[in-house]
Amino acid sequence: MAGFDIASGFVRLARHVQNVGDLVEAISATCASMHIEYFALSHHVDFRREGSSAIRIHNYPPAWERWFDDHALGRSDPIHRASHLANTGFVWANLPALMRLTPEDQLVLERARRAGIGEGYTVPANVPGEMLGSCSFAVESGRSFPEELQLACEVIGAFAFEAARRLTQSRATSFNQVPILTDRQRDCVLWAARGKTDWEISVILGISHETVIQHLKHARERYGVQRRAMLAVRALFDGVISFSDILKR
Amino acid sequence: MELLVDTSTEAGSDAVFRSMFAARKSVFIDLLKWDLPVLAGQYEVDEFDNEHARYLILTDSEHNHLASARLLPTIRPHILGDIFPSLCAAAPPRSPAVWEITRFCLDRRLRSGERRVLRNRLVTAIAEHALRSGIRKYTGVAEMAWLQQILSFGWDCRPLGLPLPNGRTMLGALEIDITPETPALLEAAGIWCPTMHQKPQARRAARA
Repeated sequence: MAGFDIASGFVRLARHVQNVGDLVEAISATCASMHIEYFALSHHVDFRREGSSAIRIHNYPPAWERWFDDHALGRSDPIHRASHLANTGFVWANLPALMRLTPEDQLVLERARRAGIGEGYTVPANVPGEMLGSCSFAVESGRSFPEELQLACEVIGAFAFEAARRLTQSRATSFNQVPILTDRQRDCVLWAARGKTDWEISVILGISHETVIQHLKHARERYGVQRRAMLAVRALFDGVISFSDILKR
Repeated sequence: MELLVDTSTEAGSDAVFRSMFAARKSVFIDLLKWDLPVLAGQYEVDEFDNEHARYLILTDSEHNHLASARLLPTIRPHILGDIFPSLCAAAPPRSPAVWEITRFCLDRRLRSGERRVLRNRLVTAIAEHALRSGIRKYTGVAEMAWLQQILSFGWDCRPLGLPLPNGRTMLGALEIDITPETPALLEAAGIWCPTMHQKPQARRAARA
């Protein structure tokens, strides 16, 4: 079980890393021992817009990071999107089986290949209520990804992501920044997310039309958003309401 | 107000057990589609629900189930040791000081905000139980998405082996060290949240 020894070795290192630089070194050394050239551990956000609490560490070529950011791929990168659909890690060659690739996606993948990034394996890393993320491992263009190391990467990805969360304090901020809605505000947000108008919500909840408008206005203010669609998305993201709340009945 | 029942120190009432087994059916069979036996069409009870199991059950003030976990002694048959030993690179840990966490269950009726609070209370209760009863290590089998969440609680986890595909998902095995530092680790991750134990008079009333 060579893969497990490598993964355990990484977990031992990751427990004691004190800063992001040490973590990068630990992941790099672990990848090198598996003859995997590249790794990228990232929250899926547009890094030109929000940097501070979001995690991104990688050893991709610098030119690739520039191109990636210039095209705001943090959110739309096909690998990131596919990881939102996957329960477990996946090899990039299987991407077309996970989702339909647009011409733009094909271009992104082609550009990555030209930057020297070949076949890869991506582990989704999601903690409920926080930004979605993933940890990817890739070999140089022209090589295939070693199948016997995929399960080790699964373990390394999970522990690396948690170590990054711990070091960047992204977990502390994510808990404190959740605005508190009153029960009534939450009810109104839930019905708005289900597609009801203010008037319909007032009938369903048995309160006045004006009251519904006020509840939703205050909820938007607490989240600092302008529109009800954004309000619903933020409430979903924070776990104030859930997909099953919206989709049931 | 939430109350905690720890069946290793107090007898849970029939009502609390019924409520927990019904919640487990709703979560593990109806929602997660696990292939498990159903008792009387409404309760999820398996061969490990016996006198050796311990339960930590969080209830509301009316003794309705909110969240629960089952702890199994690893010196007796348990899930990692007897169903998924291949998830361990070496022999599955078996010791009186090692217990397995199974059926971590958050009631489906909880709103998402409450779920997070109850989850934190349950994780805290699991850690406190270990510190109180001399358990030094927990083991557990988890799907990878859940495993990532277990790591995020901040306690000291190690993989016991490589994960293995299980249907459309993947299962992994973990061991979690419980030491006097564990409360501070949980605290730093924003998880630590102790719950009052059920009062003796309330327990008598529930049993009546």
